[in-house]
Amino acid sequence: MHYAYPPRKASHPPPYAPRSSRNIAGLRRNRTKLLAITGLFFIAVIWLLTRPSSSHAAPSPHKPSGNPPVVIVTAVDEATYDKDYLDTIKENRIKYAEKHGYKTFFPKVSDYDLKNAPKSWTKVVAMRHALTKFPDAYFFWYLDQNAFIMNPRLKIEDHITKNSRLEELMKKDHPVVPPDSIIKTFSHLKGQDVDFVLTQDSEGLSAGSFIVRNGEWARFFLETWFDPIYRSYNFQKAETHALEHIIQWHPTILARMAIIDQRLLNSYSQHNKGDEYRDGDLAVRFVDCLAAGVQACQTESQKFTQKWRTAFSSS
Amino acid sequence: MSLSRSPSPQPGGGWASPGLNIASGRSSPTTRNGTSVMWESSRLKKGAGTGYPSFSTQGSGFLSKHMRKISSSLPRFSAAGYDEKDKPISRWSTQNVPLLGRLRNIVGRMGRKLKIRLLILFTLLLSIIIFYNTPLVYHWRRTTWLGGGQKFVIILAANIGGGVMEWKGAREWAIERDSVRNKKKYVANWGYDLEIVDMKTKKRYAHEWRESWEKVDFIRTALRKYPKAEWIWWLDLNTFIMEPTYSLQDHIFNNLDKHIYRDINKYNPLNITHPLTDDYLDEVSRSPVGDGKPGSVNLILPQDCSGFNLGSFFIRRGPWTDRLLDIWWDPVAYEQKHMEWEHKEQDALEQLYTTQPWIRKHTAFLPQRMINSFPMGACSENGNDTRIHYDQKDRDFLVNMAGCEWGRDCWGEMYNFRELSYYLNRNPWERFKEDLVAVIWFKLTGQKVKL
Repeated sequence: MHYAYPPRKASHPPPYAPRSSRNIAGLRRNRTKLLAITGLFFIAVIWLLTRPSSSHAAPSPHKPSGNPPVVIVTAVDEATYDKDYLDTIKENRIKYAEKHGYKTFFPKVSDYDLKNAPKSWTKVVAMRHALTKFPDAYFFWYLDQNAFIMNPRLKIEDHITKNSRLEELMKKDHPVVPPDSIIKTFSHLKGQDVDFVLTQDSEGLSAGSFIVRNGEWARFFLETWFDPIYRSYNFQKAETHALEHIIQWHPTILARMAIIDQRLLNSYSQHNKGDEYRDGDLAVRFVDCLAAGVQACQTESQKFTQKWRTAFSSS
Repeated sequence: MSLSRSPSPQPGGGWASPGLNIASGRSSPTTRNGTSVMWESSRLKKGAGTGYPSFSTQGSGFLSKHMRKISSSLPRFSAAGYDEKDKPISRWSTQNVPLLGRLRNIVGRMGRKLKIRLLILFTLLLSIIIFYNTPLVYHWRRTTWLGGGQKFVIILAANIGGGVMEWKGAREWAIERDSVRNKKKYVANWGYDLEIVDMKTKKRYAHEWRESWEKVDFIRTALRKYPKAEWIWWLDLNTFIMEPTYSLQDHIFNNLDKHIYRDINKYNPLNITHPLTDDYLDEVSRSPVGDGKPGSVNLILPQDCSGFNLGSFFIRRGPWTDRLLDIWWDPVAYEQKHMEWEHKEQDALEQLYTTQPWIRKHTAFLPQRMINSFPMGACSENGNDTRIHYDQKDRDFLVNMAGCEWGRDCWGEMYNFRELSYYLNRNPWERFKEDLVAVIWFKLTGQKVKL
């Protein structure tokens, strides 16, 4: 359609003039300005982010991959014990380890310079050595040479070191040195906080069978325990008393320790010093015999040799 | 009238108390002409007032001096308009145009160029005010993700030997005052935190004597008190920060790996065998430099001519530090060694460093003059040693007047270093006055002037 005249303007013009065109023009005019401002902003942000930082994040510690999951450590004294006896001991550990995919480590007492300290100190440095040799293991189980693993069906992880299992097992608010030490284990520990598991017998802490979790704490703990100043101090029961000492004086160690029931990890062959072995227990140690001499231990061990052999072959 | 307001015989001339003259000569100003005020008066004065010795304060206030001048320049109150309460406008005899309108008028008459110039001037002024008169810079420097000042806490060990062992004299007070003021200024400038701890000699522990291991407890407390702190800087009292313009970040921590050395063989006055060689240790423990990453350093300390020096050292928050602080004092070690350990906690640390691989691999050393220069009197057996002694040409950061209490003049050293520090850090205006104007004046007239 076509009209002669353009349509009339509305008598009421829109109240405000549209600003869009002006806006665009303004933007175009200000483009350089805008660019400059955003550029400055970005430079400021980049400067803020790339300033030299005064804090260097601590390098994350090596995370063990669980290969092998557990290492069984036994320090052997080849100078005093018969070779046959020690072979049986080793065979026992190796068979158990093979069954569960663990590894074994048998350092010799003569490997280490103890600076005239009693031979029993070897266990501490042997454990430290194991940490070096197996940086990817989760756990290290030290088992004394006067001991057998009796129950091949028990897996260390399920039997003891699983977090939930540990929380069940650990004795909370329990005197560290029985019966009435004023230092007691913490009552609010979580399973993942525990790096060190051991047992007590009737005389105090028992350091013949214990478990350590791999990590920086383990290195700190074992190196502290092995401090020459403790070795030269002439503790009555050598490293066991040194352990009692550091646990009671140093809360950073106490806070990482769990005491569990003796028979879970450390049954004794006789009941005079602690809980006696019963069938189904994980391990048995011959403790009384040491006073009577090495030979006595070897005879006592024979009572159990047949037992573990049958248990291992049947399972 | 009561005696309490009786003025001192000398205007502005201090209080004369016969009783105090005999014993002290320390902090009270001396009477010059021998006139004495009665003891009673000063006693009353103390009881009535704040407890501080009051010098004559009358007539010295700002208002009382200038009241007349100020009041005469104020706009006058015209009494004429006072009677007629309906005409409040004419009360003040000023022009009736409001201030804002007048300002707008002035601005309107200005040219564009002038406006821009004024704007620039105004911004400049504003930024000067922001930089120098507001706490904005302080907060910037303090914030963890900007300046990072909150990550540093300085612990200053004050009041050494105060309390039981000896009374502090005027010199000791002066040392303490100067040292504390020095650190306070430094901390206020860079946004760090300062914790002044009381090293008073007293038996804190009922069952054993572990003096000078209080360091451990104070560090622990500080870590609890300042949860954002990453590094604790321990400082003894007899230290002076000579260069307050150095920030810790710039001076040390931004380039930590360049400044520290972890292989003690670089400077080994104790002849510690390093690195460890035992087969049972892992590679990092046997390496001379630990893992070599600056992030794994948890303890940084200097060594002087006789070994570790704990007069000025850094320790970093973390589980490693908790363990060290826990193990540092051990009764079995103490029982065996306390006869040998002349420097107690310092020797204990040396012992731990020597025997404990886990400590060794997280410890680093700083060249002594980075944080702990000695004056000539300390470690002076072998004469001047450029590794040890302060050199003003190099503008060393901090001076530690270590051992000055054994036969040297602590206060004298402190005073000299303080003056030297002020001298070295004069601002341009002071330099202009003292190095140019005063010198020229001296050459012209032969007279020394103090400007």
